[in-house]
Amino acid sequence: MKLELRDVSYVYAPGTPFEVEALRGVSLVVEQGEVLGIVGGTGSGKSTLVQHMNLLLIPTSGDVLVDNVDARTLKKSDLRRRVGLVFQFPEAALFAPTVEEDVAFAPRQLGLGEAEVRERVIESLRAVGAGELSARSPFALSGGEKRRAAIAGVLAMKPEVLVLDEPTAGLDPATRRELLALILGLRQTGISVVLVSHDLDEVAEVADRICALHEGRVSATGTPAELFYTDPAQAPVTVRVASLLRASKPGIGTPVRFEETLQALRALQGG
Amino acid sequence: MQNPGEGTHRGGSLAVSCQKVSFSYPGSARPALSDVSFELSPGEYVGVVGPNGGGKSTLVRLLNGLLKPVSGRVLVSNHDPATEPFEVRKHLGVLFQNPENGLVAPFVEDDVAFGLENLGVPREEMQSRVAGAIRAVGLAGYERREPDTLSGGEKQRVALAGLLAVEPEILVLDEPTSMLDAAGRREVLEHLHALRSQKTVLHVTHHLEELTGADRILVLNGGELSADLEPERLLSDAELLRENRLMLPVLPRLALELGLPPAKLRTPEELAAAILAAAESGTRAR
Repeated sequence: MKLELRDVSYVYAPGTPFEVEALRGVSLVVEQGEVLGIVGGTGSGKSTLVQHMNLLLIPTSGDVLVDNVDARTLKKSDLRRRVGLVFQFPEAALFAPTVEEDVAFAPRQLGLGEAEVRERVIESLRAVGAGELSARSPFALSGGEKRRAAIAGVLAMKPEVLVLDEPTAGLDPATRRELLALILGLRQTGISVVLVSHDLDEVAEVADRICALHEGRVSATGTPAELFYTDPAQAPVTVRVASLLRASKPGIGTPVRFEETLQALRALQGG
Repeated sequence: MQNPGEGTHRGGSLAVSCQKVSFSYPGSARPALSDVSFELSPGEYVGVVGPNGGGKSTLVRLLNGLLKPVSGRVLVSNHDPATEPFEVRKHLGVLFQNPENGLVAPFVEDDVAFGLENLGVPREEMQSRVAGAIRAVGLAGYERREPDTLSGGEKQRVALAGLLAVEPEILVLDEPTSMLDAAGRREVLEHLHALRSQKTVLHVTHHLEELTGADRILVLNGGELSADLEPERLLSDAELLRENRLMLPVLPRLALELGLPPAKLRTPEELAAAILAAAESGTRAR
């Protein structure tokens, strides 16, 4: 699926003294099978933006297009199945007595047969590395386990685009790494992933392209290398180190990910 | 139980004491905390790290009386949170992980005032404390904004302001910067750092770099206190880090992998200079 936002603006509380223009003419495309990182400071409009992707918020002006069709003409339930949105701290919405029941809730609403529902539950729990949690109560899980259970609940809808809003906030570094590996694994199956994060080091590891927001506008779009080497002061640590060496050692190239940066630096050290 | 001089730290008395504290969630076979003992002296800044499920959030809930220990004893400024939770909450304030859950009032300033309203503080003092706390977290000008229109990071700072306005002498911070961007994070950390001498702070985080200035770091893993040590010792103990699913931040990790001393290279500039120096000396040697 190709998901496109065209010139989208959104105003909170329009016509009141508390009017806030959260998005101002945002255009972007999520291509089939890519990981698109959305970065930007606190209050730049990231969360408002992603809620437009399945029309939880309706643009004040502008359009959302699914494969070049106006998303407003699609059935809402279809749109929300195809574009799965995982909110910040999604574990707050866990409610069923067992993890299995929780994950089964949404696919059951689709009117699928019980066998199909079971299969999807097992598959999506396995995808997030939480297969062993199925019989547990969601309330007795740790923060990282709850997060994975909540993501499984959205995956069970078999979305074509998975939108993750700050999925690693509050997770320990090892669990964070596992979640990033999950994102790369999903991409291989053809799902597009939109990753909203304030952590540039993390976005650098998985994004194919990045869209940077500033005060509700798109301030830059491009590959991680294009974006980060244009403004190394606002880049992840890997790029900041490499860009300092580029002046005297241009052979270092434009590494972004940790492993490729480490290799480039090692080559330099080796002479 | 009444104590003389309540509300202030007295010489020799502990801010927090945990003695052989254990806790299990109903229906869970594995204890969330087992036999955890430690003490915090007034004015100490202590970090808590460890994997998800290690017991960090359970500890926080035991400290403010949301949970009661199955065995062992917690004391906060000489009050037992299991029997006197409301007394304890005057002394110890908690900033929880998810800021969304805490915000209830129509405007930011009401939200910051919420905790104070139950303490019988005179109107004028309340206003000045609220204004001061909002300034302290860098949100001056946001007083009449609706919390619904704020970003996650801004909400987290509103919650921190609400906590500071109550002026507890012990602050427990459960991932206070997890939703903040680099600039917001620096701002909040600077503020927390400025409170150091006046407050006792227990700072739960996954970001080891936030704790380099702490007095001690507690490592909780599998419900057990697996270490209680100084930051430099933890950062230089690769095995202890690995055992507890802790990871060094990118900069020291790059330095370590390149065979350079991580503790001495604290900025990208310092690391780049060290790499260049190593490359030059390698070239000359040949």
